[in-house]
Amino acid sequence: MQLVGEGDPRAFELLYDRHGSAAFSLAYRMVGDRVLAEDISQEAFLSIWRSRMRYDSARGSVRTWVLGIVHNRAIDALRRGSVHERRREEFEGVEERHESPERTDVEAARREEARSVRSALDTLPVDQRRTIELAYFGGFSHSQIAELLDEPIGTIKGRMRLGLGKLRDQLSDLAAGEFA
Amino acid sequence: MTDHATYMDEVGAYLLGALTDAERSAFERHLESCPECRHELERLRPAAELLPRSVEQVEPPPSLKRSLMEVVEREAAPQRSRRSLGERLLDKLRPVRPLVAAGALAVAALIGFGVAQLGGGDGGRTLQANVNHSALPKASGRLEVEGDGQAILEVRGMPSPGGGRVYQAWVQRDGMVDPQPTFEVGADGTGAVAVPEDVSDAQAVLLTREPRGGSSAPSEKPILTVKL
Repeated sequence: MQLVGEGDPRAFELLYDRHGSAAFSLAYRMVGDRVLAEDISQEAFLSIWRSRMRYDSARGSVRTWVLGIVHNRAIDALRRGSVHERRREEFEGVEERHESPERTDVEAARREEARSVRSALDTLPVDQRRTIELAYFGGFSHSQIAELLDEPIGTIKGRMRLGLGKLRDQLSDLAAGEFA
Repeated sequence: MTDHATYMDEVGAYLLGALTDAERSAFERHLESCPECRHELERLRPAAELLPRSVEQVEPPPSLKRSLMEVVEREAAPQRSRRSLGERLLDKLRPVRPLVAAGALAVAALIGFGVAQLGGGDGGRTLQANVNHSALPKASGRLEVEGDGQAILEVRGMPSPGGGRVYQAWVQRDGMVDPQPTFEVGADGTGAVAVPEDVSDAQAVLLTREPRGGSSAPSEKPILTVKL
């Protein structure tokens, strides 16, 4: 990471090789469009490269940091574009995803991790899970979600906090392993 | 006025990116003075950070890496060529003035940041400094700004900054100042320091005397100012 900050293209390439797939997958999950997901991933990685963004190891893993940047970019894209209109119509449906074939142990471990987080999400009350997914992956604000679900804003905020609290309890083992 | 309980309720929305810009700013201001909300935020953060990991992995198109690396290689190339100019500058400076250790460090910073085109290259400009002559009776200074916004501050006629002290540059922008590298001057009163931060949209580059190692905020009024 230090070398990316110093403008070393090889260090940057390594960063992309390690985290590019997870970054693209998150962007794709959020916007549901490969071309837009590619644009968002490119913007995120170029912002890391151009601003020599500083990674603070005290704040978690490099992957968490990269994914946080992608998430912010995707939310910006969702909020300024028309993607929301389409997502609004399909938010209840489960889109079919085409998973890439497992090629390495690292990828296999990531798939296993993804399955664990998904099954933890599945144990949440459906209202909490849906609220969290609309906010995090849909890029909707709490007031938009309140309107969408026809619920008071306070209820929506409460579901987000309670849902995350439950997830945290379930995932504490996984999280501890990840940040070690 | 929003009370603490309201902010506590927003912790989840904040972590999920579901606050508007104005709400987020207000929440962050509240966090600074509220250990309880900070504690709740840190308690829930690991759950929010695991959400992107629930995503099914999709192979990115090869064009993504290709186009990224094209841009990165192109943007890294001029930096590498400027780096060699930095080395030439070091050669040029050496016979003119013997560099004290920290002076050499300042030149090393020039090389490290790859900004050494003193003549004002493509789109570059030279700006003269306003000097506080009661603090620096014989001093003068100028800022060489590169076309890409990187700059070198050169000073002459400078006294020693005093025991245990060094000179430090600052970039002023929107009423705030950002710390830049420190440097010392040679026995002949000359010195130079690279300003690594892009100064294209800055208001001024400032100079102060600071304890060795530098400060995060200036400890005196600027003794030399270059308005941009």
